[in-house]
Amino acid sequence: MVETDTFIDEAVAEIEAAIGDANAVIALSGGVDSSVAATLAHRAIGDRLTPVYVDTGLMRKGETDEIRETFSFMDSLRVIEAQDRFFERLAGVTDPEEKRHVIGEGFIAEFEDVAREVDADYLVQGTIYPDRIESEGNIKSHHNVGGLPEVVDFEGIVEPVRDLYKDEVREVARALGLEEVVSERMPFPGPGLAVRVVGEVTPEKAAVAREACHVVEEELEEYEPWQAFGAVLGKATGVKGDNRVHGWVVAVRAVESRDGMTARAQEIDWGTLQRIQSRITGENENVARVVYDVTHKPPATIEYE
Amino acid sequence: MTRIVVVDLHGQFTHLEHRALRDMGVDTEIIDADTPAEEVDADGVVLSGGPDMDRVGNAPDYLAGDAPVLGICLGMQLVAVESGGEVGPGDYGGYADVDVEIVDEDDPLIGSLAPETRVWASHADEVKELPEGFTHTATSDVCGIEAMSNVEAGLYGVQWHPEVAHTERGEEVFENFVAICEER
Repeated sequence: MVETDTFIDEAVAEIEAAIGDANAVIALSGGVDSSVAATLAHRAIGDRLTPVYVDTGLMRKGETDEIRETFSFMDSLRVIEAQDRFFERLAGVTDPEEKRHVIGEGFIAEFEDVAREVDADYLVQGTIYPDRIESEGNIKSHHNVGGLPEVVDFEGIVEPVRDLYKDEVREVARALGLEEVVSERMPFPGPGLAVRVVGEVTPEKAAVAREACHVVEEELEEYEPWQAFGAVLGKATGVKGDNRVHGWVVAVRAVESRDGMTARAQEIDWGTLQRIQSRITGENENVARVVYDVTHKPPATIEYE
Repeated sequence: MTRIVVVDLHGQFTHLEHRALRDMGVDTEIIDADTPAEEVDADGVVLSGGPDMDRVGNAPDYLAGDAPVLGICLGMQLVAVESGGEVGPGDYGGYADVDVEIVDEDDPLIGSLAPETRVWASHADEVKELPEGFTHTATSDVCGIEAMSNVEAGLYGVQWHPEVAHTERGEEVFENFVAICEER
């Protein structure tokens, strides 16, 4: 395991040496990796770092507000409200890889604007060790701003946590005082709720996924899942108050895992599952059905797309 | 310091094999499959899992070397094919939980796990026929040949993934392999 205090000192020194008196930007997702990278970089160069958080409309409930609060110590934090632009880009897109691509391009466009405006010379990224290997295996494309260096001519890219594993990044996060990032926030994919909506992403489906994720996270807290969420699969028939509805099917997923590489579907008691079902169908009139996903990884992945 | 390299056959879990060895205090490195084997100096070689046999590069060359070889999943299938055995689709894909029965408790790699161990697997193909000189060391309901060893030649294979967190006693397999490499 990583020796956190030594690591933090060395990482801050390395960032200082790499960036010097220049300016840098980092895309802050609210996940542990980018939060740690941003905090280390902020310690090294202060407000010459501009952390950029883009609200794509695909964030979890309350997430943008939490980000503002957690990172209120960074005066240079930029929160970009880009919801409408993202839904516009996503209209009619159904292929999962294409969705990721469209979202990635959207991020790059938003990010490029800020990077040029603040005259950023360096890009800081929260790349961790498994990212470097996994992107080669081509399971899923990584990093929302992966293509940014092709658009903006940075002097260099700084990746302070590139040799760490996820659990080690969490240790460093705790040592940096980012306790709430570690304890309250489960891993959340870069493309956000888009991968929890099978098929085309619309504001309506994203809203259902957001509410479902919120219910699932709340109800399953005591199970301490590695990841737990609701995903919108498609439409099916239901009957509500004597009226036939053709509503969304929400899949509930909760897994335990050490590193996300393998995962076990959690055994949830019937009463809890029924409470989740009741809340999701009751609070969302356009949801007809809730199912629980019992598949481990492999053969399934944790997320749906 | 014992040095064990992990030859990357493009498996999803390759870096976890690297990590298991690193955490054990072994000097380890992930090697690209296309690296010529004669350029690699190691006391042991792990052949990782991977999606298919077409992208294994120079991995077969390690089998002729002096260093013991541990093939994991596709790596084991490669050891089998190169040694004259046979690989084909299983009747039943092995995914997630599998209960493995150890059939050779004297095996230096997995004998210590006897009589049974709970593992995590992910494969459609499997070794159908044992190569000559190999001992069948483990079996399960979903896959006949879960593991095999040729102690004399220093060639070992497991069909499951000892490197993932959900495999119970996966570290022990690596510890045993490190001991095999150190003794040689």
